[in-house]
Amino acid sequence: MRRTVTGLRAWLLQRISAIYMLLFIIFFLTHFLVESPDSYQAWHGWMMSSGVSIATLIFFAALMLHVWVGVRDVLMDYIHPLALRIFALTLLGIGLVAITAWVMRILLMEHS
Amino acid sequence: MKLSIFRFNPEQDEKPYMQDYEIELETTDQMLLDVIVRLKVQDDTLTFRRSCREGVCGSDAMNINGRNGLACITPVRALKEPIKLRPLPSFPVIRDLVVDMTQFFKQYHSINPYLINNEPAPERERLQSPEDREKLNGLYECILCGCCTSQCPSSWWNPDKFVGPAGLLQAYRFIIDSRDQATQERLDDLNDPYRLFRCRTIMNCTEVCPKGLAPSRAIEKIRLMMIKESL
Repeated sequence: MRRTVTGLRAWLLQRISAIYMLLFIIFFLTHFLVESPDSYQAWHGWMMSSGVSIATLIFFAALMLHVWVGVRDVLMDYIHPLALRIFALTLLGIGLVAITAWVMRILLMEHS
Repeated sequence: MKLSIFRFNPEQDEKPYMQDYEIELETTDQMLLDVIVRLKVQDDTLTFRRSCREGVCGSDAMNINGRNGLACITPVRALKEPIKLRPLPSFPVIRDLVVDMTQFFKQYHSINPYLINNEPAPERERLQSPEDREKLNGLYECILCGCCTSQCPSSWWNPDKFVGPAGLLQAYRFIIDSRDQATQERLDDLNDPYRLFRCRTIMNCTEVCPKGLAPSRAIEKIRLMMIKESL
């Protein structure tokens, strides 16, 4: 089994993350339609309950993996010089890590 | 009938250009090829490939009004005028409508398009059940005209690394053949970032195939087989 996330693995990862994100979005929207929180406090309490915040964290993790595989595919198609491609992939990686750190900061710091 | 045809003779022309033609339709002109064969009588510098004139050899694949197809099985009266004829997109032009298919056949050969079976051959032939034979339908009919691969954006970006729809259809034709013993090797060969997984399910291949085949379906089945194998 190869260790890199390419070929079948990357393809599967993108499908699985897409399914999770779809289910999460449905769950999220259904909650707001069925029992819409009537105040910021109620919304905040719901968001920060451990189940919802873990599900939200997984959602963003899935989103980052999905974006990584998808944008990397596009970069592989259009950017052929190796140095330029590594530069673009590094920028993308830094961007995604920064967003993930920011999301974790919001979700985890608010929690404590 | 008006036609506008891509012309390029690398020995004379600096740049390709579109040349307009006008020709009276005759009752015997059924397919587009009938018309361009008569055009060649008018202008014998016009160059294109054709052979069987009945959709079996795959020589006269070209881009007809923006869509790849075989001139010999495209009814000429149904086409919008002026009929714009161009060589297969993304393939290097040799002259006028004739393209260089070296890369295309290189990709085709890369999937080992023949049965691999190391058991000694039986006296008459390797037998197959009717059900197993049925699985080859929709695959073996490919005539390698290049319409699908030439219309595939993933093949445009990576023609040297992505096998392309025609090659992958043939790869599946041998993967699914009950007489072939190299199934695992064939699947492993395709499991890298480029050879199969450049396919982005755009499905132009299935849309334009003049034989009504579905390379995108074959690619999907290869992916499913890979998933099953990896579990």
